[in-house]
This record gives sequence, C-alpha cells and structure tokens, in this order.
Amino acid sequence: MKMKEVSIPSGANLTAIYRELVGNYPKFFKMDTLSKLGFLLTEMLVGDDPGRFTPREDRAVLVFSRNGCLANDLNYAKSMEDFPSPALFVYTLPNIVAGEISIRNKYEGETSAYVLEKYDRPLIDGIVRQAFQDRITRDAIVAWIDCPSDTEWTAMAWIETK
Amino acid sequence: MENLITELKLKIIDSLNLDGMTPEDIDNDAPLFGDDGLGLDSIDVLELIVLMEKSYGIRLDSPSKGKEVFRSVAVMAQYIADNRTK
Amino acid sequence: MTKVYCIGEGLVTPLGSTVEAVLDAAREGLSRRLFEKRGTLSGASFFEEIAIEAARKATRGMEMTPRTGLVLSTTKGNVEHIGRADISLAASARNIADAVGITTSPIVVSNACISGIAALLQGMRMIRSGEYDNVVVVGAEVHSDFVHSGFDCLKALSPEPCRPFDKDRQGLNLGEAAAAIVLSAKAGPWEISDGVIRNDANHISGPSRTGEGSYKCLRYVMDGIDKEDIAFVSVHGTATPYNDEMESIALHRAGLSDVPINALKGVFGHTLGAAGILEAIVSMAAFDKGIVLPTKGFHEMGVSYPVNVSAQERPAKGKLFIKLLSGFGGVNGAMVFRKGGAL
Repeated sequence: MKMKEVSIPSGANLTAIYRELVGNYPKFFKMDTLSKLGFLLTEMLVGDDPGRFTPREDRAVLVFSRNGCLANDLNYAKSMEDFPSPALFVYTLPNIVAGEISIRNKYEGETSAYVLEKYDRPLIDGIVRQAFQDRITRDAIVAWIDCPSDTEWTAMAWIETK
Repeated sequence: MENLITELKLKIIDSLNLDGMTPEDIDNDAPLFGDDGLGLDSIDVLELIVLMEKSYGIRLDSPSKGKEVFRSVAVMAQYIADNRTK
Repeated sequence: MTKVYCIGEGLVTPLGSTVEAVLDAAREGLSRRLFEKRGTLSGASFFEEIAIEAARKATRGMEMTPRTGLVLSTTKGNVEHIGRADISLAASARNIADAVGITTSPIVVSNACISGIAALLQGMRMIRSGEYDNVVVVGAEVHSDFVHSGFDCLKALSPEPCRPFDKDRQGLNLGEAAAAIVLSAKAGPWEISDGVIRNDANHISGPSRTGEGSYKCLRYVMDGIDKEDIAFVSVHGTATPYNDEMESIALHRAGLSDVPINALKGVFGHTLGAAGILEAIVSMAAFDKGIVLPTKGFHEMGVSYPVNVSAQERPAKGKLFIKLLSGFGGVNGAMVFRKGGAL
C-alpha cells in the first residue's frame, strides 16, 4: 500500500503553515516547537479525514526522536535563571507532543514517545509493528521529529496501518 | 489606573501567548477563566502567578488565591495597585 | 501469544539496594527519597551509574546475546547537566547498554510518569515479537534543580511528606531511584500478562475529570481476568489533589471500588521514570510474602468516590495485581502482574 508521508523543512515558518492549514486553534501558540511540528504534521496527514474529531481509541500516536524535547528544555533552563516558567515546564517531556495531537484530534488510544540513537527506520518500523499487539489499535500516526533547537529540526510523519 | 490596566493587558497577552490579541480585545470586567471570557486554563493561572511576582513583586502562594485575584483584568489591576512592591 | 515473565530484578534506592531491604523498609513505614551520597565512581553520570547498577543486579548470572534488548525508562535522565553536556537520553541508554554488555540498539521510552509501564510494555512486546529472547528494562531518575523548580512552579510539591488519597494531601514529593526488570519468554515466578496505554485527550497537565484514560486502561486489562483474582491495585497515588481524585473516579467506573488499593509514593516519593518499575518490583516482593503493603501517609479518606485504601499492611488474596500510572501529556497506563506465571 502506498503510504502518505509528510514533512516540514527545517526552519520553516510554522505560524504561516498554521494560518494556512488551521487558523482557529489558539492553543497552537502556547506549544513548544516540537509540539507545533507534531501538530502541523498531523494536520497535513489527517486534515481532510471524514469523521475527524470523533473520539476514537483505535489510532495510536507514536513519536520518535534523538533529542526528545531538548529545544524546550533549554528554554525552560533559561527561565530558571529568573522565574521558572510553568508554561515552559509542562513541555519539558518528549511525549507532550503526542498529547497535543491526541487533544486536537480526540485520539484516546495509545500515545508514546521514544528516543533512539539515530533515525533508524527498521527499528522504528519494528516498534510500530510491536505497538499493533494492542488489541484495539488499528493504525498509528508515526512521527520522527528531532528538534534540538527552535530553528533547526527534522520533522516527518506517516500513517501506518495494522 | 487606565495605564496600569493597559500595561497589564499587554503583559497578559505576551506571557500567555495570546496570538493576535490587542488590549482592546480584552474587556476590563470579563472573566479571564472559563468558557465566557478568555478561556484561560490551569497552566495560565500559574503563569499569571509568575507574572505577578516578576513584574509587581507580589507572591501568590496558591492557584486558588490566584483565581480570586484573576477574576478579571480590573480586579487584578486593583489588587496590584494595593499590593505591589515594585 | 507468547507468555512473558520477569526473570530478574534489581533496585538502587535511598532505602536500600536489595529487594529484601527495600521491602522491609516499606513494611516498617520508613521513608527516604534522596540518596545521601551522590559521588560517582565510574566516571558515568550519577543517573547512568545507578541505572547501570540496577541493570547489573537484575542481570546477574545472565548471558547477554545478540537477542538481548535494552529499554530505558526515564523522564529527564541527565538533565542536571543541561547546557554542559550532551544530555540526550539515547546517549545515556547507549552507555548503560555498553556497561552491561547489550549490543542491540537501546530504546528509550520517555512517556512522562507512566514511562515505567510503557517501557515494560515495550519489553513485553519485543519478547512477543519473537525478535528478542530477553529484554532488560531499566527505569531511573535522579534529583535535579530542573525538575524540582518545575514542579515547584506548578505548585505541585507538598511541604510535608506526601499523603496519598488523604483528605489533607497537599501534593507530591520528588524521589530518586533506579529499578530494573529482566523480561523473558523463559518461565519465571511472575508473568506480565497484559499492559496498555491510553490517552485522556483532554489536557496536557491536568488529569481528566472523568478518569477517562485510566478507566479505559483498567477496562482493557480486566478483559479476560476475573475480578476475584485481583489481590490489589497499586495505584499512581501522587498525593496531588487532582490525581488521586481522578484515580478514584477511574476505579469506581471500572467496578473496582472494593478491591484493595495501595500507593507507595509516601515511601519513595515520586520517582518519575523509575516509579512504575520500582513500585512493580516492591509489589511483587510483597505479594510473594502474601501481603498488600500499607499506604504510608494515608489516614482519612480524601477522595469523593469510594476506594478501598490499604492504610495498614494486610493479607493479599488473589492471583495477580494491577499497576496503574498516569502522567503529563494525558497518558495513563496499566499492567497486570500474575503470580506463578501460567494459569
């Protein structure tokens, strides 16, 4: 089966992409760069799905990277020098992006964040296949989003079906 | 007071990343939380607690105290005027 | 479906570094959340050092092969060194794998406070895939200003020792520990028979008001088990007002109001990425002695739905226990630990 794969070039203007694709989800502006990337990649993948936003438990969200949420970790660490920012701290976990995708799309199934040494597609494919051992999961949004800084990243996503 | 209210609105817009909003968009007496007003949530409360300390030297110890003070921009401005240390 | 067993456990905690010592401390109602000495001997970071030590204890006498996997569970790893070193969790996982002689690509599961269950679930699936014979699942977390200041600005820290499910609970205490479990298809005394992750799809830091994800997890793992066989549910029990309330709702919805529950955060504090594995090991050891551990810090019911909190130690009756966790990002996880393996 031919698989749709989407990506966002490093350094792209994420606000411009948001305005073009979405425009009415102000929580976007509160997200860290990692979450913005995951959010937009998912919009590109499922934007015209019929029946979107109906709660579903059969779609997993699996996010992979090497650097987790490093860009935002650095931002939070900087805020610690002055007043630690709660709004930054809540994004200092690599799985928050999967949570944002779930909230937006009402995905109530499995969500997980994995950190690997490098982009290793066979390893990722193996982990995704293993995730299909879940008795309810039918497909998964899979993303490799490596975001060591707010200006440089690798971001791609696809949907894998059981 | 008018100046403080405008300054406060700008700080709120900035610290809560309320994209595209201007001070004119925020009604002085509208509730900041809940579905009617700005629809701010629990993390926003905490971020406003930081704003109060950072900008006005006011320490609010609990989110519940915060929610009393953050009923509206007008209430917040009055509290700042009465309690600010910087 | 291949059965997956626990064939080795290792602990490094401020309360001791053998399962027996830690269990005794928990039974006596002791509490210690931070290590006294934090120097390292090996040149590895303190985080990696305790993770390696736990993994070594769990794998003692075991031969590593090209079909041995490593799964690391942590939220922040080496974050205490942010800005001064490569704090990638993957680099830590590689160092840990090298130290214990594992040659396959290490996998880090960083799923907030449910990382421990998520990592065990990943390990279970790797065994079931047939591609691995053994998987070493290590969970570790160390204290850092980074994490402490974060929970402080979220107003989530308790000024006193935490009190899970108590009416006067004021928040959580942070703890540090490392814990490791070796999973295998080879029969062992405990089977991990099922596990699941579900998202609330509601809020990134606030627990669901309906206990949605935790309820879905409980419903999932109870499919195929007899309620009478559940000796207890080891809940997340962070002692924040919202978490414990949410769990009471989820347990109630799942029909588990009368099943004994306990929470161990009063003993160890919240050890984040280590919590699921640490609390599972201690719960297995308690069950082996025929007991449900007490919930240190709990005195008077403080949640609105009825739950059967084990305030004191009591006998464990049944065949299995469920470990429940939830965390930021809306994640919830549940896992079934079955005594004696095969039915």
